[in-house]
Amino acid sequence: MNKRNFGVVSGLVAGVKRIHFIPHNNGKYTMRAIILNGGGHDDVDLLNIQNLICDELGGMGWEYEPLVLHKIRFASCMGGFGCFVKQPGVCTIKDRGRDIARAFINSDMVILLSPVTFGGYSALLKKALERLIGLTSPFIIETKGEFQHKKRYQKYPALAAIGVLDKEDEEARHIFKTLVSRNALNILSPSSASEVIIRNEDMEVAMAKIRGIFSMAGGK
Amino acid sequence: MRRVLFLIGSQKPKPSESTSASLANYLVRQLESRNCVTQTMFITSNSLKDNRVEEFLSTIDNADIIVLASPMYVDSLPYQVIAALEIIANHRNSLASRPDQVFMCVINGAIPGPHRFDTVLAICRKFCAEVGFEWIGGLALGGGEAIGGKPLDDLKFVARNVRKSLILTAEDIANGKPISQRAITLMEKPPIPVFIYRLIAELHFRKRAIQNNVYRNMGDSPYQ
Repeated sequence: MNKRNFGVVSGLVAGVKRIHFIPHNNGKYTMRAIILNGGGHDDVDLLNIQNLICDELGGMGWEYEPLVLHKIRFASCMGGFGCFVKQPGVCTIKDRGRDIARAFINSDMVILLSPVTFGGYSALLKKALERLIGLTSPFIIETKGEFQHKKRYQKYPALAAIGVLDKEDEEARHIFKTLVSRNALNILSPSSASEVIIRNEDMEVAMAKIRGIFSMAGGK
Repeated sequence: MRRVLFLIGSQKPKPSESTSASLANYLVRQLESRNCVTQTMFITSNSLKDNRVEEFLSTIDNADIIVLASPMYVDSLPYQVIAALEIIANHRNSLASRPDQVFMCVINGAIPGPHRFDTVLAICRKFCAEVGFEWIGGLALGGGEAIGGKPLDDLKFVARNVRKSLILTAEDIANGKPISQRAITLMEKPPIPVFIYRLIAELHFRKRAIQNNVYRNMGDSPYQ
């Protein structure tokens, strides 16, 4: 019922770029999610957690696509703002980073999955996030005392993030959760939630945390 | 004589356009006039290639003080800088005995507002705690595009607080002290009033879009 390859994101695998998701499920709108997995080549724990996330999304009737970033070749942002002033909305680097941005903005929820690195994301996940700047407008507005970019699109995805720690670390957990809420503001997500899972944590506990953030992020 | 290593995290292709480099260069001059020896290294994909990692780590090991001068991208350090910190952490955590070294950072970001930098500074502080560097503090400059990669001395009034902050920072480093609150507060002050900054930034983007013949497309939504 739930297809793992859908719409735009399947282009990452097939090399075919489609612009829009194609609703199916008898014409009813189906919620869509992508998972940006920033784990390293040998990070089996993150792949296991990714599978739990997929199971949960499937159970919720969502379409989903896990993007294991170390398997996707894309360059890093050069900070030249070409996506604002040369090709508005499109990164000037012609590679799979564009496909990640397209998949991101066409999702109802984006799930960030990363080892917690000094409280933040892994370098790999950060590399992908930096390629998303063109999804916003270059112009800045002030909202509730916060400066942020104006919207380029009418709709932005909810943001859910799962950080993975080797052992309990309250400071790292706090930094991670703060970072996710700051990112949600700047990526213009309508809602966000984050949680930290400890490696070797009981699977039921991990599953409960995943359900908790999906419930909070909402994706609507 | 203190050996100070500057790591520049800017990913701009031209160092002359890097605000991080402008800030670092001014601090370099201040430190050299205070009997410190400095070395500057840009963190790029090249400097982190397998065949150059050993050289990179050896340079890190030989410094007494490491100063990270970097932009903030998406509320955190740039990807290449995180990759560099991961490499340093793996190296430091594999050493039987870690040399005593201190670390500080000077972070700049385009969007104004000092509290925006709390997370990136916390990440730097956490990095220090995990690898055994002594954290002596972090400076954060919002509205950094007002510097725009220019030498600070050329910016007169605009960079007055930035220069004062870096002079105080150099004194602290040379005297082996943590970065003073005064230096932190001075750096947090917007180089120009925020409403003027926003106006200039908007005009700057509009001008570049006109030059590239895409002015009418600035609000396009190509993916939806």
